[in-house]
Amino acid sequence: MIQLFHVSKYYDRRPALSDVNLQIAKGEFVLLMGPSGAGKTTLLKLLFCAESPDQGQILVQNRNVARLRRSDVPYLRRSMGMVFQDFRLLPKKNVFENVALPLVVQGASAFETKRKVTEALKAVGVEHRKDSRPTTLSAGEQQRVSIARAIVNGPIILLADEPTGNLDPELAGEIIELFKAINARGTTVMVATHNRQVADQVSRRVVTLNQGKLVSDEGVGQ
Amino acid sequence: MRVVAYLVREAFSNIRINRTTTLIAVATTAFTLACFGVFLLLYLNLRGVISSLQDDIQVVLYLDDGLPAQQVSDLQQRLKTEPGIASLAYVSKDQAVADFRAQFPSEAHLLQGLGENPLPASFVVTLGPRFRSSESIKRLADRMKDIPGVAQIQYSREWVENLATVIGYVELAAIAVGAILSAASVTIIASIIRLTLYARRDEIEIMHLIGATGAFIRIPYLLEGAVLGALGGLLSLALLRGGFEFFKLQLGAPGRLLGISSGFSFFPDHISLLMVLVGLLLGFTGSGVSLLRFGRAKA
Repeated sequence: MIQLFHVSKYYDRRPALSDVNLQIAKGEFVLLMGPSGAGKTTLLKLLFCAESPDQGQILVQNRNVARLRRSDVPYLRRSMGMVFQDFRLLPKKNVFENVALPLVVQGASAFETKRKVTEALKAVGVEHRKDSRPTTLSAGEQQRVSIARAIVNGPIILLADEPTGNLDPELAGEIIELFKAINARGTTVMVATHNRQVADQVSRRVVTLNQGKLVSDEGVGQ
Repeated sequence: MRVVAYLVREAFSNIRINRTTTLIAVATTAFTLACFGVFLLLYLNLRGVISSLQDDIQVVLYLDDGLPAQQVSDLQQRLKTEPGIASLAYVSKDQAVADFRAQFPSEAHLLQGLGENPLPASFVVTLGPRFRSSESIKRLADRMKDIPGVAQIQYSREWVENLATVIGYVELAAIAVGAILSAASVTIIASIIRLTLYARRDEIEIMHLIGATGAFIRIPYLLEGAVLGALGGLLSLALLRGGFEFFKLQLGAPGRLLGISSGFSFFPDHISLLMVLVGLLLGFTGSGVSLLRFGRAKA
């Protein structure tokens, strides 16, 4: 599903990632751990083509994303869902419109959009807030909406960058449970976090980065 | 189809939400286009006046005194074959006297003491529209002057040449002013759209992340620029029309007396439509320019 071969990335000649090799199988739940500046976000950015590697190859669904044409990037992203620490919702659109965006971009019909958005909102438990603006929601609700937007397309891969960073431990636990439920339906999930509690709650494969290097890979095959 | 509807809705939603920016963009575009419009209006009216003056350009071929009727007839046939001549009128010596008396009744006594009619017979030649330039008239005159029986050729060469020069300068100025003001319009709209893009860069990034193509993100901004430009064009037309009517009113009775005000006219419909289209195009270009710069800055 995801394969990294000797991947390195530099910012101003300083390595953000250094010779990283990693294989993630279809349907796995992987936690990407490490302190701030370890290279977690850089690795995720490489996977969704916000950055390109300076060395090495990256295969996502057998496509070499390092060689992907710029015009093909949107189509790769449509097979992925992304969740961020700061939710990244459009404040001028309501919850329904925010979640519907990936479907609108692909030209889905109004009927299909309504059905899929309703399903996604139900799955994350915020269906009752579909007409609200993101700014009127709590942090936990906003993150649920952002997860609904990430899964509305039925992505093969879900990438999350510090998704619990802005949440208290109880809400963080709820969000992680949501990821586990999504993973249980067959979606490959990769969550970058520096929160040890999350690792304890998930008890799945944990890949640890430090100063851009992959320092440990525990629980492979769980 | 749904995507197109979404993009159009987005463009209008942007315009509605950013009212102040919209207002500034429309007002500045309108003002810039109105400045150009004033010049265009002046140019078109001046050209109309010049064109009507050119209609009056005539070449008069004075004939030798006592030219036999047969030779006059031959000359008339010869002139009819000339390509630049639209119409031809023969003015006999008697007719010339009659015309003089009709045109200058108070001076009629001048002819009384002379006994014999001193005025020569002539052909009054009106030229076709394509043959009214000073060069064409000069060429025609050169060909005519050596024809037996033609005593003298008269036309207002200086006047014709001055007209041609004025038209040339006005055209040149219109092109220069138009180019400068068009560039100003594009810059203004580009700056405004760029401000909008910077204000909404997070939104644009989110659209990229969810798999929106570059075109999907750009189209609403291009449409927004085009709509702002077209609205600016419409407003400039309204301003120009208001200004034009005010000017005519101010000119009032003295203008009518001199026959000036009746000669002035506003843009014909196709030029008005063109003004709106130019506004639309400038807005579209402005958006395109800022999107290009924004894209490069992001890269």
